[in-house]
Amino acid sequence: MNIDNTASQMRKGVLEFCILSIIKLGEAYPSDIIDKMKAANLNILEGTLYPLLTRLKNAEFLTYRWVESNSGPPRKYFSLTEKGADFYQELEATWLELANAVDAITGKKN
Amino acid sequence: MKKVININFQGSVVPIEETSYELLKQYVESLRNYFADEEGRDEIINDIESRISELFQERLKNGSTCITDDDVNVIFKNIGRPQDFEEADGGEKSAKDEKHNQSNDQSEKFQFTRFGEKGKRLYRDDNHKILGGVCSGIAAYLGIDPVIVRVIFIISGIGFLAYILLWIFVPGSNVLVNGVRKRLYRNPDNKIIGGVCSGMGSYFNVNAWIPRVFFLIPFISFFFRWGHIGPLTFPNFLSFSFSPGTLIIYIILWLVIPEASTTSEKLEMKGEKVDLNSIKNSVVEEMKGVQERMNKVGMQVGSIARERSTDMGKEVTYAAKRTSGAIGNIIVILFKIFAYTILGCIALSLIVALFALGVVSIGLFPLKNFVLNEGWQSVLAWGTLIFFIGVPVVGIITFIIRRIARIKTHKRIIRYSFLGLWFLGIICFISLLISVGQDFRRTSSANEERIALENAGVQSLEVNSLSNTRYNRANTWFRLEPFATFDDDTAYIGNVRIRIEKSPVDSFQVSVIKMCNGNTRRNADTLASLINYSVFQKDSLLMMDKAIAINTNDKFRNQSVIVIIYVPVGKHIKINKNLDYNRNIRVHGPLFNDENWYNWEDDDYDFQYGIEYVMHENGLYTLSGIPANDYNRNNDWRSQQDNRRDNYNADQDTENYRYDQHNKVDSLRMIKEKEIQKIQSSVDSLRELKEKQIMKMKDSLRDAKEKLEQKIEKLDHNNTPGEAYNRNGKQDYSFVMHI
Repeated sequence: MNIDNTASQMRKGVLEFCILSIIKLGEAYPSDIIDKMKAANLNILEGTLYPLLTRLKNAEFLTYRWVESNSGPPRKYFSLTEKGADFYQELEATWLELANAVDAITGKKN
Repeated sequence: MKKVININFQGSVVPIEETSYELLKQYVESLRNYFADEEGRDEIINDIESRISELFQERLKNGSTCITDDDVNVIFKNIGRPQDFEEADGGEKSAKDEKHNQSNDQSEKFQFTRFGEKGKRLYRDDNHKILGGVCSGIAAYLGIDPVIVRVIFIISGIGFLAYILLWIFVPGSNVLVNGVRKRLYRNPDNKIIGGVCSGMGSYFNVNAWIPRVFFLIPFISFFFRWGHIGPLTFPNFLSFSFSPGTLIIYIILWLVIPEASTTSEKLEMKGEKVDLNSIKNSVVEEMKGVQERMNKVGMQVGSIARERSTDMGKEVTYAAKRTSGAIGNIIVILFKIFAYTILGCIALSLIVALFALGVVSIGLFPLKNFVLNEGWQSVLAWGTLIFFIGVPVVGIITFIIRRIARIKTHKRIIRYSFLGLWFLGIICFISLLISVGQDFRRTSSANEERIALENAGVQSLEVNSLSNTRYNRANTWFRLEPFATFDDDTAYIGNVRIRIEKSPVDSFQVSVIKMCNGNTRRNADTLASLINYSVFQKDSLLMMDKAIAINTNDKFRNQSVIVIIYVPVGKHIKINKNLDYNRNIRVHGPLFNDENWYNWEDDDYDFQYGIEYVMHENGLYTLSGIPANDYNRNNDWRSQQDNRRDNYNADQDTENYRYDQHNKVDSLRMIKEKEIQKIQSSVDSLRELKEKQIMKMKDSLRDAKEKLEQKIEKLDHNNTPGEAYNRNGKQDYSFVMHI
């Protein structure tokens, strides 16, 4: 067992959940998502974010619209679809369950 | 001092240093490789490119005059290089193989499953390699220890060739710093035919002429040796001394290897930037590495073997405690192995069958001139050979190699053109069959042609073969040609039958029926009259050809000859064994039914070669007075075999055979032998009978003995002393024994 692997696996599991929750707050541009995650101390490479977004989009959880930008090419702004919202709900429920369980086991919560 | 160029990147003009531009290009290409199996590859790359473009614009707005290497590197670092993604994703594979992960994180790249099972792909493992990393790559792909694969490769003799092939076709796992990995490409800049050779040259860092010469040597020898190579020297075909071998390989390589069209592909083709020093360095390093690794492997094998054996012991004890899940897994794996083995066998046999077909048809191809007309039929024959047989062979091999190497170019056009060409081949084949069938449709009228004999009144006639041509060539072990033998302009067909009939007059008569097929009755008759077949008498010998010679003008149209020898009553006839040449080749099919078709099978052979017969009033008899028909029917298996061996000897020594008088003795001896056998067998059966009776007696005696012994035992137990009884029993016993 390797600590890095375990850690990155843990992180990977919640990555989609975090991305979806950021987008849920409002339309988001990928580099905004990166910034927000960085601010929350969750580092992610843009190179891994783009494929994730594309996959979520292809699964019809996300949709996007083009927004003209004065610095460079038009930007893609992502927003949640209805299906995506349902998916998010499920993820959230799972997350809460899991967080409670983990807290209970690790003894953080009495 | 650096050159700055302007590029149009994602819709905006970017001034960029030339070196940075190359870096950018390689980076995008490495992403493209990395996301090769991803569904939305183009979209992802587009997104990343526009993000890069945005960052470029920011930089330019902040006052930079152009994009430099540093800028590019910072951007790449932020977005991440493929290696970084792999590290970030690294957790995925840990569940799969803990042990491997512990040993070396980096090495898992090739085995690493990109976004699930879909992307698992065979790579050569550049980090754990000894030679080319093929074995460790396969091991990682299958999740087993590389040593096992290595041992299998070494033990199986074919390993070497397979290794080289895999080395070439399987990409290495090492993503170089610039995301460039060395791959085999066809080189369009330096090509003569398809650029295969020059691509190989740049892959192996040698002059393009070296691979070219390798491809050309067989061609040259092909031209020089053509006269000597039998058309069906099968091993030669495979051993590359027959040009179709290399030609086919070239075509397959042409189809399999992608062309290096972009600059980065050209860089990939050479492995790295064209820098003499770096090439030299890498070669030197490689060689040093090979030596070290060789040393290491020795130790590795030892330790692995030790580990394995102790592990095995543990495994066995644990296995009993394991849950059914593990057993289920094993069953699934076994089933998979089973299924793949069967599939492999089917595929292999298909390929072998196709190859065999190809070899046979190439081998038979020189016969083409004797059967087919010039013009359409020849064209169709070539079409059949190339499209009906050649295309699937090349196609299947290409498919397999692409499957193994997972080359994905998605060129549908290739698939369709393969299919189209094959259909063309089928059409060629069918029309060839129909066209040839037309030429065989009609049979000539069977006209008996009397041969004038020099001295018809001889007492006995011996029929002998005219020519000494050795029709069977002994040098081909793989004999398939239907004709007896052929050279450039003459083929011999053994369609000669001899019939013996009773002569109505008191002298010998010989007549010949020549038969042939053709597209019309008239043509058939013309061809039949062209059959060049000679029969003539010389003292008491009747000389005749044992095969019909046909040339490329007349073509093979089922030419056949029936020689009827009319033997007067009381005269002797003997057909020498050198005429016993049974190699009839006649084509017959539903398309060319004809009332004149003469069925050879109805023609009962009422004589044997090499035996002298005498004609009686009611048929042919041997000299010892047995009717020829009976004699044949009674011939048992052994005498036939003897005959055959005799035939062989006779063929060896045709000239002397005429003066050999052993045959008479032979037939007599055979009859005698049979009688002896009969007597022998009756004696045998008598002896058997006797033995059986003795056995029966012995058995009954033994039974009696056992019963008596049991009785004695009982008596011993029941009756105290009872000596009288005992003696009595013993007496009985001995009495019985004496019978």
